[in-house]
Amino acid sequence: MRAVIFSWEYPPRIVGKLADYVGALATQLAKAAVATHVVTYHDTLTGATQEPSGVEVVRVSNPVQTHISLLTWALTLNQEVERAAANVYYHNNKHVDVIDVHDWHFIPAAVTLKHALGIPFVYSVDSLEDHRSPGADLPFNMAIRGIEWLGFFEAAAITAKSDWMQSEIVKLYKVPPEKIDVVAPNANGWLKGILKVYRKATEAKGT
Amino acid sequence: MKRQLNVMMFSWEFPPRVIGGISPHVYFLSKALAKHGVKVHVVTCDFPGAPDHEVLDGVEVYRIDSYKNPSPDFATWVYLMNMNMQREAASIASKLPEPIDVFHAHDWLVATAGIGLKHVFRKPLLVTMHSTEVGRRDGLHTSTERMIHETEAWLTYEAWRVICCSDYMVSHVKWAFGLPADKLSMVPNGVNPHIYDGLEGQDLAAFRLQYALPTEKIVLYVGRLVYEKGIHILINAVPKVLAKTDAKFVIVGSGYMKDQLSNIVKSMGLEHKVLFTGFVDDDSLAKLHKVSDVSVVPSLFEPFGIVALEAMAAKCPVVVSDTGGLSEIVDHDVTGVKAYPNNTDSLAWGITKVLTDDSYAKALRVNAYRKILEKYDWDKIAQQTRLMYERVLGEYSKSFWA
Repeated sequence: MRAVIFSWEYPPRIVGKLADYVGALATQLAKAAVATHVVTYHDTLTGATQEPSGVEVVRVSNPVQTHISLLTWALTLNQEVERAAANVYYHNNKHVDVIDVHDWHFIPAAVTLKHALGIPFVYSVDSLEDHRSPGADLPFNMAIRGIEWLGFFEAAAITAKSDWMQSEIVKLYKVPPEKIDVVAPNANGWLKGILKVYRKATEAKGT
Repeated sequence: MKRQLNVMMFSWEFPPRVIGGISPHVYFLSKALAKHGVKVHVVTCDFPGAPDHEVLDGVEVYRIDSYKNPSPDFATWVYLMNMNMQREAASIASKLPEPIDVFHAHDWLVATAGIGLKHVFRKPLLVTMHSTEVGRRDGLHTSTERMIHETEAWLTYEAWRVICCSDYMVSHVKWAFGLPADKLSMVPNGVNPHIYDGLEGQDLAAFRLQYALPTEKIVLYVGRLVYEKGIHILINAVPKVLAKTDAKFVIVGSGYMKDQLSNIVKSMGLEHKVLFTGFVDDDSLAKLHKVSDVSVVPSLFEPFGIVALEAMAAKCPVVVSDTGGLSEIVDHDVTGVKAYPNNTDSLAWGITKVLTDDSYAKALRVNAYRKILEKYDWDKIAQQTRLMYERVLGEYSKSFWA
């Protein structure tokens, strides 16, 4: 199985908890014989590197340096994510089984790759805009919620890290609960759970 | 048989959605390309009442969800709209019986959709730069303007070739983004003279009477009432022209200078000689071109100058300021009159010359119309564009993407 992980933070760029989680996930996947690629952002450490675990990390920077918000920054960065992911696809006999996109930033890229190349994606939810900016109803927040909504709609599978998050997704985005798998990071069989979701996404592709 | 060339074109506007000059450009270019054997798929923004998909003279037109939620600002809307455009275009392109050969994007307004799809499908991207942020704003003053400028730079960087509509824009774009000269090509903008053909021989006397007395010559201005278009130069030239001949100045268009301009007219006591019409429909505009004695384009900044071409196609003599694309369109004393930019006396002299010398005006009409057929005909422009696609594909076929 070949998986490409999208995350806006990855060591050594650590913004919140997500970087270390995705770092551990990639390493464990590589150990489980999954060909693992990570596409992430870094302003200066750009290009592809191979980690000792075998994980290939591709770091892209934003071609547009001046921005008026996090939103415009993320939206222009998506094209570089697409470029990096397409390179993985074309360098490996046009084959990627699944994309695992963590949080909203690179959902537009995952959606485009799904429609263009038929690669299914898993939307792994770490946090939601409603929790990051409670009660904020500016067009800025609405746009980010719209991107999250697009992710839930287009994803072949969804993972949440707790039962609480699953119920929040169901409540806020009206996603059918059976579309969401809860895979707690600290649980036994965590990686098995993730792999099960990946396989589910890959199988759903044909349907 | 070689299979048909398959092109996907991105434009933020396409009729009936008309905001600026890109909409008619893409409309006529795509139709002429279809006539010359190119399969064109235009992906554009939706518009109330227009179908999501239609075929227009062989051109496939797809109207995508243009992101209608509230947006923080125009620039952010552009990127959000592009997200939707890219998603839908990816789906359209992957379902076509034949793969897309070339992506063709018009201006930064569709930059991210074009760039993303280029990489995902690994097909060459061609870009037409109709204007630039640094030109529109006369410099870069805010973060938004810089962001747009950098997006334009990125788009021209990702483009296999960059097309501009005038030699002036070629040098401007080369300067603005530091592009190598051999990456740029000039393909002029076109005009469709046939829309005026139907008016030939029609009695427009009654129509003319709505705008001017039979004894008055008509001086026509078509454009936004904004500083860069130099309309204030024309308004200041009004008394100088009237000192020599009787005329009515018909000002078509709207803009933030409207009130200021009508106050100047009022203070000169010439309200009966200057008529502000606001926007007019296409049919009336074509007729106005036919009944006018001179059409004036007094711009201070002008990437191309399509208004001058439209007047020339309608066989209306033109007086333009000698700047930007206008300098190339008009050959002084042959296809029109060039006045010094930002110079009221020079502009008034040119207008008076055309209005008072009938044989001169007639020669300008004839020469200008011939020039339109020679250089600005959409069929010729489509052929040049097609050659551009073939050239790019020839180079592409030797690349590791092929």
